[in-house]
Amino acid sequence: MEYKEETTSIQGTWPLEQWRWKHETSVLAKKFLEALKDKKIIGLKCPGCGLVYVPPKPYCRCLSIPDEWVEVKDTAVITTYTFTGSWSFGGRLEGTGAPLVIAGVMYDGSDTQTLAILDGVDPDDVAVGKRTRVKWPENPQGGINDIMHSELI
Amino acid sequence: MRDVAVVGVGLSKHVSKRRDVNIAELVWEAVSAAYEDAGLTPGEVDGVITGNMPAFEGVNLPECWGAGHWGTYRKPLLRITTGGTTGGSVGHGAFYAVASGLFDTVIAIAFEKQSDGDSTAGLNTVILADIAALLGFGVDPSLLLAFGGGAVGIAVYQASSYMKSSGCTTHHLDKVSVLCRTNAAKNPHAHLQQPGLTPDDVAKTDLMQYPLRFGHVCPASDGACAMILTTGERARKLTDRPAYIRSVASCSDEGALIGIGGSGTLNVDPGRQESCKLAAARAYEHAGIKDPRNEIDLAEPYAPFAHQLLMFYERLLLCDEGEAPAVLNSGSMEMAGELPVCPSGGVISTNAIGASALERIAEAAMQIMGRAGEHQVQKDVHKAVAHGWGGMVNLNVVAVLADTPRG
Repeated sequence: MEYKEETTSIQGTWPLEQWRWKHETSVLAKKFLEALKDKKIIGLKCPGCGLVYVPPKPYCRCLSIPDEWVEVKDTAVITTYTFTGSWSFGGRLEGTGAPLVIAGVMYDGSDTQTLAILDGVDPDDVAVGKRTRVKWPENPQGGINDIMHSELI
Repeated sequence: MRDVAVVGVGLSKHVSKRRDVNIAELVWEAVSAAYEDAGLTPGEVDGVITGNMPAFEGVNLPECWGAGHWGTYRKPLLRITTGGTTGGSVGHGAFYAVASGLFDTVIAIAFEKQSDGDSTAGLNTVILADIAALLGFGVDPSLLLAFGGGAVGIAVYQASSYMKSSGCTTHHLDKVSVLCRTNAAKNPHAHLQQPGLTPDDVAKTDLMQYPLRFGHVCPASDGACAMILTTGERARKLTDRPAYIRSVASCSDEGALIGIGGSGTLNVDPGRQESCKLAAARAYEHAGIKDPRNEIDLAEPYAPFAHQLLMFYERLLLCDEGEAPAVLNSGSMEMAGELPVCPSGGVISTNAIGASALERIAEAAMQIMGRAGEHQVQKDVHKAVAHGWGGMVNLNVVAVLADTPRG
């Protein structure tokens, strides 16, 4: 490969802040989020294969339509996990103290997994298969943030 | 269906920043090399299949400003963009064009010049659909970083899950990096060439995000790949040893960034990759391969992250699930081994996103044609499998190549 001299770069900026996108909450999500206000986690059960989807989902992998609302527990099993290193958040967390531990969790009674931040844990204490419980806020607001934080049990 | 064969391959030099060329010129490096390799001129090609991930460069509609530059002016053109699998899908598109009888000779072109844009911004456009679903559940946008964090932020969950189910350890990850990066040292087109690299060197690199260290992760490359495909009949007139593409198959799981999906993306285990097994089984069947473990001579799985080389070796049905770490330890994946894996150095050494999955097919073709140069494996390569992975951690594309047509 024969390298020529450098090309010319023309500097410029295109501010994207002026653009706005808007995303709607689904009908299923609304019911799911409302239940969080009562510290309840609900999902939809499939009549075809019995899988329970948390959060709810409008169709099942077996092609049936999940239609039965069920309550699951706020305890869960860890399915996978990570913790932040030097590059996480583009390196922005570097030097800010303890690493952030995030786990995939499957709530008891559910067949799907979701992510949760594990508060106050040493990464060395985390393992796939260990159990967690949701740390509910005092006044849940009906947003997914209500169940974003869990602790090891 | 007509026989389809690769008769020419071209790759550009891959580095982090190709400041000496613009995008069109970078692509022309690969395109001109492919024409030269095939002994054809642009006038002898009937159509063009091309792809990249425009969000990575920050410029869209590459055919507008590229087609003329690539010798493809006034040719029928199809553009395909499927995330990390883009190049694989481009290769599949070229295969379909010739196999169907609609075109005799086509050129497949795939590229990425990441240094012109912002890779994280590009990735964000890929995951925007899932982010939209997350926002629908009222996620605080500032928390989204915890779920994304770029491609690494997705791959770490897959790595943890795969390691638990397979018994793969971080030491295996270190060894995968050594296998690939020392192979890359023999490939003049590869980006990260690290002759003499040891597992200890890899283990000493900084932790990016558990369990992946810097040494386990691909670089961001500028690069391009082009491949000329034609009918079996014409291929035999052009070369003594064409590489036939016997079959292609593409299959998608549901999105597997484990997140708060709900509006269409189920939270499947990202380590399962059922779609890869389905695509591989279909591709082997169409290729007339009954026993891939014994019939496949060489594999080019798409593995930008170290655990993926082992995981996809299993999902490409080349060994039992959970067995790949032991296969790695046995030495059979090495360049002189029984079933060499990524003699090119693979995606962990070179990743010009849109080009990478086409490069897997191109590298398999070069090995069959005996044109891989210093990284040509010792054994004769009769049958090879090339793979691509991407989309939203969900899409798997598989191609099976051979030195003889399907018959």
